Amino acid sequence: MSAPRGPHLFKDIDTPGLTGIDVYRKLGGYAELGALLQRAPEEAIEVVKASGLRGRGGAGFPTGLKWSFVPKSTAKPKYLVCNADESEPGTCKDRELMEKDPHRLIEGMILAAHAFGANTGYIYLRGEFAYIQTILDRAIAEARAAGLLGQRCAGSGFRFELHTHLGAGAYICGEETALLSSLEGYRGQPRLKPPFPAVEGLYRCPTVVNNVETLMNVPEILRRGAPWFRQWGTDKSPGTKIFSVSGPVARPGNYEVPLGLPLSTLLNEHCGGMRDGFRVKAVIPGGSSVPLLPASMLDTPLDFESMTAAGTLLGSGGVIVIDDRVCIVDALRNLIRFYEHESCGKCTPCREGTFWMSEVFARLEAGEGRAQDVDLLADVADNILGKSFCALGDAAAMPVQGALKHFRAEFDHHVRERRCIVNRRRTELEQVPA
Amino acid sequence: MSAAPDTLVRVTIDGRAVQVPPGTLVTDAARRAEVAIPIFCSHAKLPPLGACRICLVEIGLPKRGRDGAPVLGADGAPEIAWMPKPQTACTTPVAEGMVVATASAGATRARQGVMEFLLVNHPLDCPVCDEGGECQLQDLAFAFGHDASRMDEPKRTFVSESLGPIVKKEANRCIVCMRCVRYCDEVMGEDALTAHQRGVHTEISSFDRQPLACEQCGNCVEVCPVGALTALPYRFRARPWDLRQHVTICPWCSNGCSVRLGVRGSEILRARGTERRGVNQEFLCVRGRFGYEFVNHPERLGAPLIRVGGQLQPAGFEEAVTFAAGGLQAIARRHGPQAIAFLGGENLNVEEQYLFQKLARAVLGTNHVDARTRHTAPVTGDAVLRATGGGRPAPTFEQLVRAEEALVLFEDLQAEGPLAQASLIRGQHQHGVHLTVAHARRVKLARAKFGGAWLAVRAGGELALVHALTRAVLDERARHPEPAPLDPAHAAALATLARALPAVAESEAATGVAADQVMEAGRRLLAATRKAIVFGRNTAQHPEAQALLQAIENLGWASGAITAGRSSVMFLGAKHDSQGALDMGLVPDRLPGYVPLADRDHYGAAWGATLPGEPGLTAPEILRAAADGRIRALWIAGDHWLRSAPDRALAERALANAELVIVSEMFLTSTARAAHVVFPAAAFAEKEGVTVNCERRPQRTARAVAPRPGARPDWQIFQAVARALGAAWNHRTAEDVYREIARLVPGYRGTSWATLVPLGSPWAFEPARVVAPAFAASHDGAPPAGEGLWLLAGGMLFLQGSLSHRTEILPQLAHEPRAWLHPAEAARLGAIEGAPVELHGPSGRITLRLGLDDAVPEGGVFVPDAQVGVELNRLGSPSGAGLRVRVQPAGARAAAPSAAERA
Amino acid sequence: MSVPAPMAPAPPLVALEPPLAWPAHLKSAVDEALSHYPVKRSAILPVLWIAQREWGWLSPAALKLAARTVELPEPEVFGIATFYTMFNLKPVGKYHLQVCMTLSCSLMGGERIYRHLAGKLGVGHRETTPDGRFTLSRVECLAACAGAPCLQVNDDYHERVDEAAVDRLLEQLP
Ligand SMILES: Cc1cc2nc3c(=O)[nH]c(=O)nc-3n(C[C@H](O)[C@H](O)[C@H](O)COP(=O)(O)O)c2cc1C
Ligand code: SF4
Ligand code: FES
Repeated sequence: MSAPRGPHLFKDIDTPGLTGIDVYRKLGGYAELGALLQRAPEEAIEVVKASGLRGRGGAGFPTGLKWSFVPKSTAKPKYLVCNADESEPGTCKDRELMEKDPHRLIEGMILAAHAFGANTGYIYLRGEFAYIQTILDRAIAEARAAGLLGQRCAGSGFRFELHTHLGAGAYICGEETALLSSLEGYRGQPRLKPPFPAVEGLYRCPTVVNNVETLMNVPEILRRGAPWFRQWGTDKSPGTKIFSVSGPVARPGNYEVPLGLPLSTLLNEHCGGMRDGFRVKAVIPGGSSVPLLPASMLDTPLDFESMTAAGTLLGSGGVIVIDDRVCIVDALRNLIRFYEHESCGKCTPCREGTFWMSEVFARLEAGEGRAQDVDLLADVADNILGKSFCALGDAAAMPVQGALKHFRAEFDHHVRERRCIVNRRRTELEQVPA
Repeated sequence: MSAAPDTLVRVTIDGRAVQVPPGTLVTDAARRAEVAIPIFCSHAKLPPLGACRICLVEIGLPKRGRDGAPVLGADGAPEIAWMPKPQTACTTPVAEGMVVATASAGATRARQGVMEFLLVNHPLDCPVCDEGGECQLQDLAFAFGHDASRMDEPKRTFVSESLGPIVKKEANRCIVCMRCVRYCDEVMGEDALTAHQRGVHTEISSFDRQPLACEQCGNCVEVCPVGALTALPYRFRARPWDLRQHVTICPWCSNGCSVRLGVRGSEILRARGTERRGVNQEFLCVRGRFGYEFVNHPERLGAPLIRVGGQLQPAGFEEAVTFAAGGLQAIARRHGPQAIAFLGGENLNVEEQYLFQKLARAVLGTNHVDARTRHTAPVTGDAVLRATGGGRPAPTFEQLVRAEEALVLFEDLQAEGPLAQASLIRGQHQHGVHLTVAHARRVKLARAKFGGAWLAVRAGGELALVHALTRAVLDERARHPEPAPLDPAHAAALATLARALPAVAESEAATGVAADQVMEAGRRLLAATRKAIVFGRNTAQHPEAQALLQAIENLGWASGAITAGRSSVMFLGAKHDSQGALDMGLVPDRLPGYVPLADRDHYGAAWGATLPGEPGLTAPEILRAAADGRIRALWIAGDHWLRSAPDRALAERALANAELVIVSEMFLTSTARAAHVVFPAAAFAEKEGVTVNCERRPQRTARAVAPRPGARPDWQIFQAVARALGAAWNHRTAEDVYREIARLVPGYRGTSWATLVPLGSPWAFEPARVVAPAFAASHDGAPPAGEGLWLLAGGMLFLQGSLSHRTEILPQLAHEPRAWLHPAEAARLGAIEGAPVELHGPSGRITLRLGLDDAVPEGGVFVPDAQVGVELNRLGSPSGAGLRVRVQPAGARAAAPSAAERA
Repeated sequence: MSVPAPMAPAPPLVALEPPLAWPAHLKSAVDEALSHYPVKRSAILPVLWIAQREWGWLSPAALKLAARTVELPEPEVFGIATFYTMFNLKPVGKYHLQVCMTLSCSLMGGERIYRHLAGKLGVGHRETTPDGRFTLSRVECLAACAGAPCLQVNDDYHERVDEAAVDRLLEQLP
């Protein structure tokens, strides 16, 4: 058996047959579920709080705190929703986690639901994950057959039903309130906050929305306690995190590393550095929605605080490596087209702003840029930032601002020379052998 | 830190301090502070959305120390913690001490940014846009002095499309505020519109771009803040700024919506809602929005007509007046005033109604006065008043929106009161109003999607059902007396009543409604603290109307819908001023203000005349009396009697036998053609006056255009004839007539013309005068056994009365008339959809094409009575509990809309 | 103002072709989907998926069937179906080739894969080959960034593909 791929979530991830309940059990899965469900729910919330676990979906909100916002005494039913929409460009970790280790997610959801008293859970999968829905449904059936789900989970008095729900192609449905609209059967558009989901979420009932990776951390944390989890990471960003590394590095892939690891270490040691003949120009560290970092800042540690200090965000951990043969303007054109395509259209700044920026990028790209275009982009981005209804608008504005901050020269060059600063357009590049 | 509900919250907006109730939105607080905050997506009748972002402002709250007390700055004023991002004023509720900046650099920049975004894809075609001049986007762009010059890329474009006969869509102009879609859903309950696609490609349209299958109300056009949705009928007719705008009251139903008429020269070019005025604000139904056209109709009567040698010939006004007066005088001399009757007037303003009955009583001395020409049986003049609470304050539309339980009795509000229906739908959607609809058909409000209860009453079982509901309420009271204690004054009477009424279970057979459904409805009605009961003309025109109205009065008091202090029972009259007609004494047994004939001296003195003390005949009695020659002179005012009289054959005989028939009308209807004198009357938009809506709100109408040459307001006609008969009337204006009303008529006393603005206050009796209830249980109203199908007549949305036939759009929307059967019933009769069927009644038959509709109960046939060429009264008038007709496939072709009806 | 125009003929009152119904073998799946939620409308996406899997695309008749099944107004269902990119409101080929064009894949040659397929099949974005075998689509990030460039054929992911791999794949498809 090869060396474990990671300290925790990836330790056994490649074990053959792990999708089946028996193998998962052999590795200790579900062993203490019954016992944990006997404990007082508040305890679980306290342990998770103490562990310092923060949301892995992008916002990094403290998970235990989120659970504690759910009103204790309410006549309404409560819901737990797993955000498995994994739609942030550059991110592909949840897919591997669910594809290979579905029972850990199920166990995590049972425990999370027990902690704040939800009796129904949904896993909202992006539409492209139909094959993962099959895997999860099979696992859920196994768990139900084994008495782990249903009227009396693992022999406890706790009742929990779990269903998968397949989206149909909309990035915005990763945004938690849009996800809930979609799950309720509306067009997947965000809703006003407040009220926050913890108070008024699914069907206007108290609801917690958590990311796949977040929930899969829960079983071990409750089993082994907060200190065990805190052996990794920093004080404010404890634990491990899975980073999806894409772009022309030697070994692209998902890597589970302790938070706080310098970005350069992840790239050079885990990913084996760049492919021959490529040099890194910039890295988008937290999924396409965050400002990029220039090569000069690669030593920034991968944790929430350091990334914010460096003017970007840890986000979802989608690390996109941009090499020196890529035109930043071209890369941004590509991303802004994505946001234009995914804007839900509810609010004006995002709907019109992403379209407008996209048009300007196209113009620059075509070598028809004008002197004022670069400032125009900055201005439009600024008019979106903080003015849109949900964070998608911000997600489209921040990368532009980041690119302009570090690579304005390339934009100006595009306008002046009517062509890319790099000798060849990325897209003309010969195939990079796998 | 939220203030207690009763205390007000202090907020400062651009330095102006205002106090508003907690929960008020910043946009509304700003309006109070007279600070303008632009909005697009937010709308008074829709919950906050916060999508368009044009209302962004900067908001701060007082800093608070650990003790929760505000932190004071050097100047002693509380320090303000400003929120990092601009906030949408339309979604943010006020908080104590909140400070709002709408003009700060940050707020202005944010809004300018949004404004620029809104213009990114908005075409610059204002010059050819119908909205031009009333476009909120245009106004704002102007205010911000922004043009889209920085966005000179090709814009995203859609093809324009027509969504049916009413709505024209120019999607390129759409700013995706979602007002139209949300209004269609939450206020109209139609769900006809939806957003297609997403992002910058979001486009408002219908299912698969099909023509809108809806009420065609055009309110989506009304709420569209730009020119994306425009009304096809008005396309390019005129630019707003060449139009004179006159706000008046809609002439159709009893809801009394305010409508803004756009006039050029002497022609009305369009009708719109009024934004912030009237009982309806922006709302109008299809009739209100497109039904004014009859005013401009080429066939309007120009000159008076008098019959000379069997021929109606044009005459001068004075000539016609002399002719009419002479005729009346002669008949009064020969046969006594008892030979003269006055019919109609529900379409007139109160001044005209008042003078009409004054002419009959004071000048000619007859009490044969009745506006209720559609009635099939005699009904006392105060029956409706008692059923609606005896003059106690009546419910308003706002009360319908906020009710917990609303009981709708026997009316299809889609036809009889579109605003009432919209109020209940919005209430259901936004405030959880529960609807209980008693109707033989599954009418719109009874649809499953409104989550209410449908009491599918058997035709003829109406009275039994109201009795059963009353019994259910009283039984429920007996079970738990505590919560809603009975008015002690009536407890005893109601207890006796309870004993007199059959047990709920026993009435199942008569009502056709399951007992538990009735019990549930009774329980809900009693339990609700805010409730409403709505009934209308199907009750008033019912053959058992008198008993039915008494039964509703019983139910009102038993359920607490009527209390000593107020009433929650609403009456929807057949016409816009049916209520006024009752108030003004257009009934044979009551004087204006429901004054009993016994107290006639009150008026006799004021009018300087001795008034007849004997109650006159009711409309259905006048019909019979005239038919067999006991009544020799008829004055029919603004009423197409041959259509409205319950029995056409009788009415034809009556007109043939009468020695003198005087008709004041706008068109030469077949009724008018049978007259000896015809006075051309002014249309609603051509005269001033007051009309009273179903909330009992007297509202003034405005003169938007001059009367057609030759036409006069009816009051002038009545006065002219009265003077010719020697009366010393000399009112110069309608206002002058109203002054007399305000001096004499109880309920109206002390009101002043000047205050009768749209949404002015409803009238109610002073406590001393309110009518005390009387409780009685008449026979149980079981439908008599008999042959054939129950005739289910009823109104329809697109047409109301013969005037609506003289518009261009309404008859088109109404499609061809049909007789509607449940598919199963049609199968039983071997009748095929679209093929002609014959309806045979006691005194005649009509032929119509067959339509299939599973909302029609088996055992019944539904025929909308408003349609061109449909003359249900040819079948004969219902007696007892209703009319039964034999339905059979016809060999003959279906009756085409009879040209006679229109010519 | 003209005199009243002739009245429009009444619209057909019973739908001309009988409305679509669920084939027997799908009834249980539809009921199962409905059973997962406290309100019917929540089942609209599952129900639309069932319909699209069965018929390959969502015809107006199928959309109406879905609307009836979850008791939603037909226009709203149309709005929902068009909001999401994975529902086909036009028929598609037996194999739907979806090439990811978002940054990570584009960095690794996604555009080239797309151009290769377009040239090879002679179709453009959302177009179908005359034989009805292939539909080609540009799509956004598929969550396979570390396996860029990625091509999804119907539900199956194919990662780290190049022209040769794509050619082989197309040959192997039954
Ligand atoms: C535009 C947008 C897209 C998002 N996409 C995802 C996603 O694909 N997966 C995810 O887990 N969270 C996503 N989020 C974050 C969610 O809104 C939410 O914060 C998260 O699921 C909460 O779970 P966590 O606390 O466990 O991170 C997105 C947020 C925004 C604004
Ligand atoms: S920012 Fe606005 S348009 Fe963009 S996704 Fe959010 S709500 Fe929709
Ligand atoms: S009016 Fe406030 S966001 Fe549209």
